[in-house]
Amino acid sequence: MLALITRRLMTAIPTLLVIILASFFLMRLAPGGPFDGERPLDPATQAALQQAYGLDRPLWEQAWLYISRLVQGDFGPSLVYRDFTVSELIAQGLPISLTLGGLAILLALLIGVTAGLFAAVRAGKATDKTIMMLATVATALPTFVTGPALALFLGLWLGLLPVSGIGEGGAWLIMPVVALALPVSGAIAKLTRAGLASVLKQDHIRSARARGLSETKIMLKHGLRTAMVPVASYLGPAAAGLLTGAVVVETVFGLPGLGRYFVQGALNRDYPLVLGVVTLYAALIILFNLFADLIYGWLDPRMRDG
Amino acid sequence: MGDIVLKTHLALFLVLVTVALALVLPFLLPWSYDQIDWNAVRAPAFSGSHLFGTDEIGRDRLARLAAGTRITLMVAIAAALVSLIVGIAWGATAGWIGGRVDEAMMRIVDGLYALPFMFIVILLMVVFGRSILLVFVGIGLVEWLTMARVVRGQVMALKQRPFILAAEAAGTPSIAIMLRHILPNIAGVALAYLMLTVPQVVMVESFLSFLGLGVQEPLTSLGILVKEGADDMDMTPLGLALPGGLLVIILVCLTIEGERLRDRFS
Repeated sequence: MLALITRRLMTAIPTLLVIILASFFLMRLAPGGPFDGERPLDPATQAALQQAYGLDRPLWEQAWLYISRLVQGDFGPSLVYRDFTVSELIAQGLPISLTLGGLAILLALLIGVTAGLFAAVRAGKATDKTIMMLATVATALPTFVTGPALALFLGLWLGLLPVSGIGEGGAWLIMPVVALALPVSGAIAKLTRAGLASVLKQDHIRSARARGLSETKIMLKHGLRTAMVPVASYLGPAAAGLLTGAVVVETVFGLPGLGRYFVQGALNRDYPLVLGVVTLYAALIILFNLFADLIYGWLDPRMRDG
Repeated sequence: MGDIVLKTHLALFLVLVTVALALVLPFLLPWSYDQIDWNAVRAPAFSGSHLFGTDEIGRDRLARLAAGTRITLMVAIAAALVSLIVGIAWGATAGWIGGRVDEAMMRIVDGLYALPFMFIVILLMVVFGRSILLVFVGIGLVEWLTMARVVRGQVMALKQRPFILAAEAAGTPSIAIMLRHILPNIAGVALAYLMLTVPQVVMVESFLSFLGLGVQEPLTSLGILVKEGADDMDMTPLGLALPGGLLVIILVCLTIEGERLRDRFS
């Protein structure tokens, strides 16, 4: 297991480097700069600002400087929110995005695995087909439709939940998390159902039945564990999807998370902010994939050396 | 419930009706999608010549819905085709050559799969000025990964089949085998995954347009209409319900039909 972790971390570094460099040069290809406001600054001030942030140096030198600072944990200053460093903005936004994403994936697992289990137990019957149809519908629900729709029904019309911003307690989390979790839960339900269907045909299940174990025990203890393997391998892409979904949800519900900073930063040419968020997201996703692989190995010991 | 939907081809029917309406309606309606009716700003549904009313600056909702659906589907089909071409080229090359090349190429796919790709697409949109052409090239370049995996698997299986071995033994050049024997045999599966890529692309396009990074005014798409509706939903819920509902119906129906095709071929 330690070997797997080391090997993954070794490949993670070049991957991250490629992503950082690609985003760095992409940003710089874009027309416009961070100091083009409503009123154009006079050329002298513009030049002074460029010099102060090192934007007048050759691009390769800037890239090198950025990476050498990044290694020391310094994401640089934000060019648009000028009183803040990127690290400070990330420290504000990351907890919100992580809370949303983390709760959403837990909720999606809870709904998805339960639904998949029910469908597999009733395989071929009406319950199974209804659940699977609902799962297909759920996977096709975009967050930018469910988010506003939830806000309209539960927030504006029924007045049950706050529509915008971070309120007291946890009520503000409910709608964003549900909107994020729905499509993922549909996918998880399908994977669980498919996984269980193939596992239940295998020999160890037959022998468990022959040993006279109760059907519930067979399902939960022998079936579900192996059936979770495809679900575990879906968690990496799911995490990437949730982080993207969070961009919309944060916009819809007015939450100051990282996704909003990213979109604002990209529009305002806030180079260090955008690079910081991309780097952080890429690192998070790589970590999450590693984590998913470890779960994978725990669920199915045959995979451990692979 | 599930059974009835599948047996009656309800999903396919709804998709075809939507496409037909999106194509025909703009010619039948008295209003164009960007035309302002100064006498009927925020008109309710069923008022005069506006079946679904007008939006906050007096544009006919039905006309905008048809135009938006048209653009969304156009972008989706174009982007899905880009993903089809890139995916087949990548997957077939990896599967045909095999060995280390295959391993390296598939590692790249695995690596790309898990990346925050949407963020790179957002950067692309910002960089290249949000032209509609770029919207589908950008999306297509992101959505080819599954296609590459599927095609590679198919090609690897085909490679062992006697008719391919025979063609090789007869000295047919690789390119000719690929075009004449491999491609026709993977067409069915590729088509099924193309069907499944379309809703994915619709989702990405609407997502970008919703954030203001995709299709730009005066053109419109379902994503833009959802955004406009969401901004104005406390005044007229219809503005959100119509494009949002239509988008969900299109996504669900395309997914159902795509999955049906995929299950038939695998």
